[in-house]
Amino acid sequence: MSILTVNLKHLYQRRGLWLVYVFLGFIIFLCIAAALDHAVPKGQFMGFVLLSFMIGLLAGVLPLEVVTKPFSYCLPGHRKTVRQFIFLVGTAVNFLGSLLFLMYPGLRFWQLALVPCSALFAGLIFYWLGIGYAFAIRTSGAFVGFLPLVIVAGGFFDFHVIMERAIVENPAGVILAGVLASAVAWFLLGAEGLARRYCAVPWIGFFDVWNRDKMQKYHQAKAAIKWEKLKKHTSPSVERFFLGHMERCHHNSQGRYIWGGLYTAFGLAIPQWKQNLSNVFWALIAACLLVCFLSYMGPAGSPILFIMPGFMVAQMRLPVHASMLISGGRRERFITTITLVATTAVLATILVTILAAFSLPLAAIVPEFTLRGATFTFYAMNTRLFFIPLFMIPIVSAFQLLFFKRPSLIVLSIMPLFVLLYLAGILWRRALGWPISPVHIASVLVLSWLFFTAVLHYTCMRRCLV
Amino acid sequence: MNSQVPIVQMRKVCKRFGKIKALDEVDLEISCGRIIGLLGANGAGKSTLLRHIIGLYLADAGECVTFGCEAGKLGPGEFARMGYVHQEGELLEWMTVKQLVRYVSTYYENWNRELEEKYIADFEISTDTRVGSLSPGQRQRLAILLAISFEPELLILDEPAAALDPVARARFLDLLLQIIQTENRTIIISSHILSDVEKVIDHTVIMKQGRILLDCGFDELRERFCRVRISALGKELPAELPFENVVQCQRSNGQAVLTVRDCQREKLQEQAQSLDCWVEMETLPLEEIYRIVVS
Repeated sequence: MSILTVNLKHLYQRRGLWLVYVFLGFIIFLCIAAALDHAVPKGQFMGFVLLSFMIGLLAGVLPLEVVTKPFSYCLPGHRKTVRQFIFLVGTAVNFLGSLLFLMYPGLRFWQLALVPCSALFAGLIFYWLGIGYAFAIRTSGAFVGFLPLVIVAGGFFDFHVIMERAIVENPAGVILAGVLASAVAWFLLGAEGLARRYCAVPWIGFFDVWNRDKMQKYHQAKAAIKWEKLKKHTSPSVERFFLGHMERCHHNSQGRYIWGGLYTAFGLAIPQWKQNLSNVFWALIAACLLVCFLSYMGPAGSPILFIMPGFMVAQMRLPVHASMLISGGRRERFITTITLVATTAVLATILVTILAAFSLPLAAIVPEFTLRGATFTFYAMNTRLFFIPLFMIPIVSAFQLLFFKRPSLIVLSIMPLFVLLYLAGILWRRALGWPISPVHIASVLVLSWLFFTAVLHYTCMRRCLV
Repeated sequence: MNSQVPIVQMRKVCKRFGKIKALDEVDLEISCGRIIGLLGANGAGKSTLLRHIIGLYLADAGECVTFGCEAGKLGPGEFARMGYVHQEGELLEWMTVKQLVRYVSTYYENWNRELEEKYIADFEISTDTRVGSLSPGQRQRLAILLAISFEPELLILDEPAAALDPVARARFLDLLLQIIQTENRTIIISSHILSDVEKVIDHTVIMKQGRILLDCGFDELRERFCRVRISALGKELPAELPFENVVQCQRSNGQAVLTVRDCQREKLQEQAQSLDCWVEMETLPLEEIYRIVVS
């Protein structure tokens, strides 16, 4: 059995990929249905060509999962396997996809051969972009994250229509571009040092997000690179402030652990802002852009702004699971975690409320504009939604505790939860009217914090901590 | 502290992770002042056992008591008496070494600054380096420093030398030899590098698949296993050697090398003389004893 055959077997031997195939199959079905449904095509034939980007990501990630293992592909006779694998998959898939263009309405006889050929090379261009992206990033997670971005951005700018026209009306140009892109890919993928460059680098494969140990090692390796690049240090005054408060508390008192927990959570963030004014400047620019973008989205922008801290907290590591032993027991971990989450919730609420309030004066001066026939009006943010982070953060933190050993489940569980809460909010608004009464808001907040406290208490007192 | 009073007591401790039985009715008593080598293959349950002792894991069944307190309810008072170095080496990446040492020291009333400075010098750790930028070996040295600078009564070292290079490992062993000079300090050290461990331990616990296969003093263990070299003085060695508890036997050129379990030296000597043989006995290195026990 040849080395290439063994590598091709990955395509069906990894059962997790079957799910990806079902997903891709569904999209391909939609692409074909859309293409055949229209008498006058307006980009509908481009579905399969654009999908090549995703297939390129997939085909790039699979050999990379092998190439990052020490010694694989560095062995004699293995070096060219990555290129062979990628070219074989790309050519086969895009050849099949290009056949769809045979159904393109109004093709003349001479176009019947040329247009599918043009579509094949157009598909290959997107395929190489996907491959390039897979080799450039260090995690396969972007495979999922990139899909909505490609669809939304491409759809908005009618990119698919322009490309489709180019494939049909200017096949020679597209073929030439495709041949050039393929030649570059052939050269780069056959480079002598390719396997050596990727050998043993930290890499997160398709299903590694389920593997906690591998994720931990990956983050540790990434952290080493990250901290190496970071030049700024925690300022002595910040250190003095937190350690001073710790020292003022009695040795076995809860206060010492609370201040310690706050120091480890915010000790780095505070001086980054304080020491470097350019950070503040760029943060303000980013905040302005964010506020403008969300305000132009209309009334839906406000809930998105207030929900965002919830997503950000999902990435926060809670001190309850720290494996670096200090002199605190389970009770101290409980107190520290609850204080940290409460502080984060309050700070996040203040921050997003300020951002929302910032949109109020802007609404009077920022003009509306029209782009591609759509009019965009700047809406002031609704600051009455300030309670959302206070409500969301304990719930997200509770999910973090519940799915500590399955980090990917945290995001997967939070997404539907947010949708449910959004719908519940709409129903609530209809049933109880607007504005929501302070009593109802207080009840919801109390419930969410009780839920979090119960989960945290259970985690601290009844579960394994690492 | 009375050295006879156990500081760790585990009674019928069971722990499961899904279908895997990580600890299976483990009974263990650790007395004060012992240097215990916890040995076992990957997945034998060594780290799980250690994490039960410090209360990071809770037993599904059975009881684990450390310093007279149920492990799950250990508080600052008890934690201030124990240091722990774990194999993952989780530290606060963004701090410099100096900041991390200062931060950790704030939790301990009896932090020994002189000791801290001595270890920093011995370990050759640059205090201005960011923790996230340290090599695995340096990280491990820093973790050891943090675990011993407050002079804990119980020091738990979970694969402490795994990430160290040979020179650093030799230094670490020297350090360990210094630490164990302190009377009444108990050290539990789990390691794969048995040749290192055997230089310092006085008690051995060998684990396999979540069970304790052997729990005895190291000297006693070395007495129990020996290698016997038998040479025929006159004629050939008999085809059947009459010795008991022979684990391995290799014969060549009128000689036999036996590995014997529960070795009774006098009896062996007598039997060899009766066969007109010359007998030579030597103790086995820990690595070989371990292989025999787990096989």
